[in-house]
Amino acid sequence: MSSYAVRVEGVTKRFSGHTAVKSLSLDVPTGGIFGLLGPNGAGKSTSIRMMMDIIEPDEGKIMLFGSEKSPREMSERLGYLPEERGLYKKMKVLDQLVFLGEIKGLKTSEAKRRSLAWLERLGLGEWSQKKVEDLSKGMQQKVQFAGTLLHDPDLVILDEPFSGLDPVNSQVMKDVVVDIAKSGRTVLFSTHIMEQAEKMCDRVVIIARGEKVVDGSLAEVKAEFGGNHIALEFTHDKERAARILADRQLIARVDDYGASAEVELASTGTADALLAALVGEGVGLRRFEVVEPSLQSIFIAKVGDAAKAPANQEVA
Amino acid sequence: MSKTFAVIRREFIARVRTRAFVITTLILPVMMVLIAVIPALMMRGGDRTMRIALVDGTSDSLGSRIASALAAERLTRDSLAPARYDVTRVAASGRVTALRDSLVAFTGLSRDKNPESFDGVLVISDSTVVTGRADYLGTNTSSFESMGQLEGSISKVLAQTRLAQSGLDPSVVANAIRPADLNATKVSDGKATGQSGAASFAIAYFMAFILYISVILYGQQTMTSVIEEKTSRIMEVIASSMRPFQMLLGKILGVGTTGLLQMAIWGGTYYLISSQRGRLASLFGVSAAAMQSLPIPVMSTDLLIVFLVYFTLGFMLFGALYAAIGSICNTVQETQQYASVVTVTLMISFFSVFAVMKDPTGGLGVTLSFVPFFSQLVMPVRYSLAAVSAGELVLSLAIGVAALLAVTWLAGRIYRTGILMYGKKPTFRELFRWVRQG
Repeated sequence: MSSYAVRVEGVTKRFSGHTAVKSLSLDVPTGGIFGLLGPNGAGKSTSIRMMMDIIEPDEGKIMLFGSEKSPREMSERLGYLPEERGLYKKMKVLDQLVFLGEIKGLKTSEAKRRSLAWLERLGLGEWSQKKVEDLSKGMQQKVQFAGTLLHDPDLVILDEPFSGLDPVNSQVMKDVVVDIAKSGRTVLFSTHIMEQAEKMCDRVVIIARGEKVVDGSLAEVKAEFGGNHIALEFTHDKERAARILADRQLIARVDDYGASAEVELASTGTADALLAALVGEGVGLRRFEVVEPSLQSIFIAKVGDAAKAPANQEVA
Repeated sequence: MSKTFAVIRREFIARVRTRAFVITTLILPVMMVLIAVIPALMMRGGDRTMRIALVDGTSDSLGSRIASALAAERLTRDSLAPARYDVTRVAASGRVTALRDSLVAFTGLSRDKNPESFDGVLVISDSTVVTGRADYLGTNTSSFESMGQLEGSISKVLAQTRLAQSGLDPSVVANAIRPADLNATKVSDGKATGQSGAASFAIAYFMAFILYISVILYGQQTMTSVIEEKTSRIMEVIASSMRPFQMLLGKILGVGTTGLLQMAIWGGTYYLISSQRGRLASLFGVSAAAMQSLPIPVMSTDLLIVFLVYFTLGFMLFGALYAAIGSICNTVQETQQYASVVTVTLMISFFSVFAVMKDPTGGLGVTLSFVPFFSQLVMPVRYSLAAVSAGELVLSLAIGVAALLAVTWLAGRIYRTGILMYGKKPTFRELFRWVRQG
């Protein structure tokens, strides 16, 4: 058996006129949490749908668990949460979960037992006999999440699992995802929220406009991106920093968040020089830390470049 | 297979649990029972046994003969029906008026408090034979029917008495005055339609109508549920867990089982009402005879089975088409263009039923009862109106099942592609391509 849970080889998918995914190759190793990152419309969902064999690639092939079999034949080992959430609105929560378990091959009694356990775990115990439409959106999302995991799949594919969740529910889901990874199973999730990915993922792939721009473990990605990055947090007189941050001798790139900023030093700049300049100008600092580049800044840099590329070509 | 079963169960439960299903399923049987029982209940008031006191002022046996003639009258022609009159003969021995008045005092009182109360007092005297005059004082004198029946009964005895007085043998007289018994048979287009012609006509029409309505209603439900799955994207979860054909099959069978349950309850109720009138009558405390007179055509067991089998077949055939249509559309509005094709087919099929009713053994009816999309409505109707051989039935069913398999296969092809297509509706040419693709 291959040590890859998912192997995508040179996959291309075109939709009437535009190419959603362009010769994409990626490997998701067995075990751990894998992040499929990219801006909106980058082709994340299309890639995931192809992995689930919901749509077929025009070129290339995809293997799950190193097997040539269709994902549908291995659906007992797969859990899939689609991007656009949906449940049968008129169905009772418990019935719904039992149904989702049954179509993954669970026996009715077993599906029922596990559903109740999951509802309890997600704090929805007393909602089991309510209709889905009576639940809040966040609760519905948790129910669907439970439905995805009911049959203890070896590979869990989650399309934007955290979108639309409040911090509390987000935390609950995160804990579940981490638990799955701890038990040696594989989680692949897509997101465009980099903070989440940075905290959770062992490996990431960033795609933009259907093409892969970054691939590797988080450490590799950061090392490869390189550069000296400094995280700043301001207390007062931030406006006085403007001139310094604009100095291209000192600073190559700024990611300004208002009360904080992440900067990449230019090859001619040093951390000492930047600190001296800021202090000399009287900028109030709460934090000055030499850091690894954040996934966010890597994402902005890479995806921004990719987005600019065709514009430059047009100029040239 | 267990996945298909999970879909069947889901579709079945999702439908059966709705209030609309429970109400429509129960209300029709209740109405059927009411329609069967209410007229009998209402007739009970007018057509009950009358307690009559007969003041016998005759010096010969005329009074007692009238009394026994009245006692022999039944409420209906059925010899087992309850007696029309409960006669108490009182010999007047000269005091006719006094006796009559004392009995009138016991007449027309509330039955509940005075079970011995009379409905009327009939006075017969010696002169009755000659003049034909008899006095009757009662509560029901305004009912032409009651008075007519009473007059008729008395007239018969008077006629017998007068003829006997002229020296005729009483048995000859009894034979001579036996009434005619009209046996009515409907003739249509120069042909006798059989004894229950009108009755089976009604049952055929009713069946065709129920089939037509429920195939359309359940078909539309199948279509909407596919669209709901598409818009809620639950389709993606299901599509990644089982083959689209399993999904389609589960859906059609699930909705089909629901429809079959409803039809079985409706058809079964009708079957029971028409075949178990006696029990139903005693259940509601009305006379069996009164129930018997109701125009409920009897539905035979084999007709019930044929009806249910063809319903199931038609239901799944049209259901597969409706599911395929649902799969290629994103909103219910969008379905109209495609659904109208199916609905028009069904309507033509429904209207052709009228041609079959007119001439169940004609070429059109016989042909259509083998043609898929028509046979589902036509065959049960034809079966109810005319003799259909077992061979014909088997052939028609075999063609129907073959058509069902072909249509389900075709629908499965369209469904497979359609369920995951969002956006523009496909053209008929594109649909054709989907079907051809391996």
